[in-house]
Amino acid sequence: MDNETPYVFKVKFPSDLDYVAPVRKFVAETLTVNKFTPKFAYRSEVIVDEICHNAIIHGSRTVDATVEIECKIFPDRLEFQVNDQGGRKDDVERLKNVMKKADAHRADYLQDKDARGLGLEIVRLLSEEIKLEVGADNMTTVRVVRKREDA
Amino acid sequence: MPGLKIQKQPVELRPDLTMWKIDGPLDPESIGYIHREFDSVLETKQNFLIAEMSGVTHVSSAAIGQLMGCRQLLVERGGDLVITGVSLDIKSKLSAMGATKIFKFYNEMRTAINAYHWEVERKSEKVWLSFPPQLQFVPPVRQMVSRIARQKGYTQRDSFRIETIVDEVCNNAVEHGSEKVLKNIELNINIDREKIELEVINASDPDKIENLKALSTAMPKAPDAKMGQKRGRGLALIKMLSNSLDINFSGEGTSVHVTKLREE
Repeated sequence: MDNETPYVFKVKFPSDLDYVAPVRKFVAETLTVNKFTPKFAYRSEVIVDEICHNAIIHGSRTVDATVEIECKIFPDRLEFQVNDQGGRKDDVERLKNVMKKADAHRADYLQDKDARGLGLEIVRLLSEEIKLEVGADNMTTVRVVRKREDA
Repeated sequence: MPGLKIQKQPVELRPDLTMWKIDGPLDPESIGYIHREFDSVLETKQNFLIAEMSGVTHVSSAAIGQLMGCRQLLVERGGDLVITGVSLDIKSKLSAMGATKIFKFYNEMRTAINAYHWEVERKSEKVWLSFPPQLQFVPPVRQMVSRIARQKGYTQRDSFRIETIVDEVCNNAVEHGSEKVLKNIELNINIDREKIELEVINASDPDKIENLKALSTAMPKAPDAKMGQKRGRGLALIKMLSNSLDINFSGEGTSVHVTKLREE
């Protein structure tokens, strides 16, 4: 592995909370075998938990909806993205508003009632970058970058 | 004080299912009302009822006993009565009454509907995974599959056997796969209440295919350790732990399909 060719992992699972714990632990364990610290691996697990939880609760409108996570492990960082199949319009608007306020570094966004319960404040606190993309039919992608702390 | 109110609503994600939105106190006076509302559910031939109880302010053992009776009738028909949205305070009271041992509780509606698919409709669920062909990634993969099996109600023993199968198949995919084509290994999991099906697909190495074919046709006989045979033990182990094993070789890829029935 070098800085240009990361290890790439993908998991696609049913939109069901039962799968979140196995998937988040899988991500943490792949980081551990790649010599990331247990602290880094655990904090990444926390982020995966929050984003997957949001994707299931707010980003799944059909009974057979799925969630997909792609992790790219570089020697100095972790990049991952979680895709859902599109939530309700009001849920997506709520998410967009929270991200917009957070991107503008507004100090009050954490106190915003819309931000509460989305877990985004935890994700932002633990990561270097977080980006939200809303595509056709409200399909949502959350991208996160975490840099290795001991590099 | 306002009395109990039960609103019968279709479930948004599955309009063919019924939800009870329960608001107010579940006190002894509400028993007759619950009974009448439940009769109307039975008339519609529904056998699965989701009780949304975020608006419940009080619970009495008499009313919970009535709900238990309703649940029992649905269970006898092959369905269930499950509870969602209950507050921490009400949940602790229900726990003290022993109701948490009888009813299934779900934090939100989607999980309750997924439980209906799994428990009543007995639908299978699919997971797809892609990982680099490196041996160090096999332990996280096998542990994830084992955790999924445990989460879906398989016993510890079954889950451990599934983990062993995944370990062997994935190790083979890495060891016998192509070293030239660095394509990720794919794992397809299809799990339901009765069985788990695993399919592992990897890029083939044309130089190793004949050896692999010879090993696979030697199954299920385990290699003779006294004779110094070291290869082929993994396949023999998979054969012993699973209910069916199929291997397909092609010029481009090898696919191993294993079925393991739930034993307990």
